[in-house]
Amino acid sequence: MRDRIENHFASISTPPHPALSHEGRGISQYAQMLGSRGKAWHPAVMSHRHAKYSLKCAWALVLAAMLLAICCSCRSPMGTTALAPGASGAPPCPAGEEMTTAVAEMGPAMPPYMPAPLPYQVTGSWSPPGIALPWPEDEYLRDGGDDGSPVAVAPDWTVYGLELEDTIAHFDTTDGRTMIEPSNKVVVYAPRFGSVRMITRLAGNEQAEPVAGIDGPERIARNDETTIPATSLQRIQLERQGGIRLTGEFRSRRGDGALSRAQFVSAFQDAFLPYENITVLRTGEFANNEKARLAAAVQAAITWTADAAVQVVIDNKAAQIVTGDRRAQATYTIDDLRNNPKLRVIKVASTNTALPGETVDFTIRFDNVGDQVLGNIVLLDSLTTRLEYVPDSAQASLEAAFSVKPNEGDSLVLRWEIDKPIEPGDGGVLRFRCVVR
Amino acid sequence: MADQLRLLAIPSRVRQERVARTVAIVSLVVLFASMPLAAQTPKVHYRYQGNEPPGAIGSMQLLRGGPLPGYFQPVEIKAPSGALISLAVDGAFVESAKAPVRVGMLIAPVYRLRVTNIPLHEGEEVFPTIEIIDRIYPPVGEVTRFPIPIELMRDDLELALEGHYITRVVYLEDPGQALPVASGGKEQEWFDTGPGTNPVEIADRLGRPVAIIRMGGRVPDLRSGADAQFFAGSPPFVPLSADCRPLVSGPVIVPAPIHTATATDEHVTPTAYVKAGPRAPAKSVIPSRERQPQ
Repeated sequence: MRDRIENHFASISTPPHPALSHEGRGISQYAQMLGSRGKAWHPAVMSHRHAKYSLKCAWALVLAAMLLAICCSCRSPMGTTALAPGASGAPPCPAGEEMTTAVAEMGPAMPPYMPAPLPYQVTGSWSPPGIALPWPEDEYLRDGGDDGSPVAVAPDWTVYGLELEDTIAHFDTTDGRTMIEPSNKVVVYAPRFGSVRMITRLAGNEQAEPVAGIDGPERIARNDETTIPATSLQRIQLERQGGIRLTGEFRSRRGDGALSRAQFVSAFQDAFLPYENITVLRTGEFANNEKARLAAAVQAAITWTADAAVQVVIDNKAAQIVTGDRRAQATYTIDDLRNNPKLRVIKVASTNTALPGETVDFTIRFDNVGDQVLGNIVLLDSLTTRLEYVPDSAQASLEAAFSVKPNEGDSLVLRWEIDKPIEPGDGGVLRFRCVVR
Repeated sequence: MADQLRLLAIPSRVRQERVARTVAIVSLVVLFASMPLAAQTPKVHYRYQGNEPPGAIGSMQLLRGGPLPGYFQPVEIKAPSGALISLAVDGAFVESAKAPVRVGMLIAPVYRLRVTNIPLHEGEEVFPTIEIIDRIYPPVGEVTRFPIPIELMRDDLELALEGHYITRVVYLEDPGQALPVASGGKEQEWFDTGPGTNPVEIADRLGRPVAIIRMGGRVPDLRSGADAQFFAGSPPFVPLSADCRPLVSGPVIVPAPIHTATATDEHVTPTAYVKAGPRAPAKSVIPSRERQPQ
């Protein structure tokens, strides 16, 4: 029998069927293997087992795909958590916040299984720990930076991607490049309230039941029901959805270490305002002892707290502070600033809070901190919806062409075109005033 | 034998693999085709309706946690020029003050007001309620500069006098959806919703609801005694000055004793929904037999 099978397989021309040929070995060898060890399998049987294994894998894949589909189709109970009033900007509710005053005052005496209580105040300000300020976002106005899609400038100087709240400067370098530099962000606390009214007309329900006659076989009843239609005065509802942008962190850049040349402003109508009494705004030179004031003016609404210490910036990125028992090591890098045009744009506001109807002065200081002459400098500020530019309030310390045009938020885009190129170390100051809507 | 093995095993294997492969491909296609469906916003169910009983939404807000319990949110109650506003303490209204009135209110309790001397409606009274359902978080030192404006508009007061029930949800506007209109010094932006709509839901879409004003519902009946439900327990509040500085060291917290009707209650006779005109003579509470001549 074995010989017949072997002869049969030997008569099969090449290529042999993979199920019946295994690396050139005949069935006799497998028979010997079967006889010697009792655990080897015939190639056909092995192929059958391989098919079973593949089938199991395929079914496992099918089950995994169906399980994944079921998991993806499941949704969290958004309707009960994220959609309650205040969900858009209400404070988060981490576990353990549900506490009464008495529980909050217990402090560390709380049971160990309960999370530590949050800082609790009956009156006064509060912000959740671990969340970057300003918070909550819906109570602040922002202006500056380049959020959303990045701004791009075409060869004909057409600007694309300038969105609400963006403040950028673009300039040309001596080697033919057109570069874009955004400013920092300015945050102003200016909540505004609206209301929604619903009028409900009380429906009249009158039911008259006359006295029934004792003689009558049937009592006469009258049932009047008057339903007065409710009136509805429908005004135009809002349909537009605007993007909410997170506040970026303040980024400071350093040049090549050379001091910027003192550039006192002479073309202003007024002297410097009190909130502009910062050396970097007056002369363009950074003073370390004014760093806190500058940061406070830049992110005007952010409270200057103890954790906002000196920041280390390497390659325009904030360095990580490592603490531990290991030896501290520091790596310093030196940028080769040759052929490195750079424009620094700083924006500050006169106040950190404003009520609707109040005015806010903005000051933009720009300096050439690179090593090239910069030309065709254009500064653009797209005001957010709730900032209304006060006409004829724009000032510039350098000769510049000022123009405005509407933006998509029914506000204005302010545009300054600096007439003359700026030498390295030189700079200028722009100023304008807005009314908070 | 080999033929039998090949005929029996190979076609079955091929068929099973083919079926499994087909099912796997179909499953993956269905999975990827259904992924956009999972990304879409599901239909939402708003827990809170505009016709919730006063205090219900605020109570639920407290259960959500956060620094809400015990916080006295500064509130500025505005009314038409000349109108007088009175808050309830100890189950009775205190002396009226000219609008605007600034107080610090707790979140969740219901505050009952009395508005009198309404222009062109002198002699009539409206008793609105205010329910604070969320707070705002001004910077340090600016808490009292940014009260929540509660505007009792003349239109609302007149509608309430005509028998309408007004529900006004005050919300903090989302700057990303702000209306491009200037509202400095004027009344806040508002709009009407049609009947059958949920004003809380609409306000939540436009921002963050912080307060609910209701008026036109009930009038007090002080002749028959104290109405604890009408005053909603007279929750404490903190009177604030014109610049929203506390006038007293602590909140006005007075225990609510049982109030008995006396003849002096005549001056607080409810006149809501009653047009100005001669009042009916006051009824004496003295038993008639004592007034009979001897």
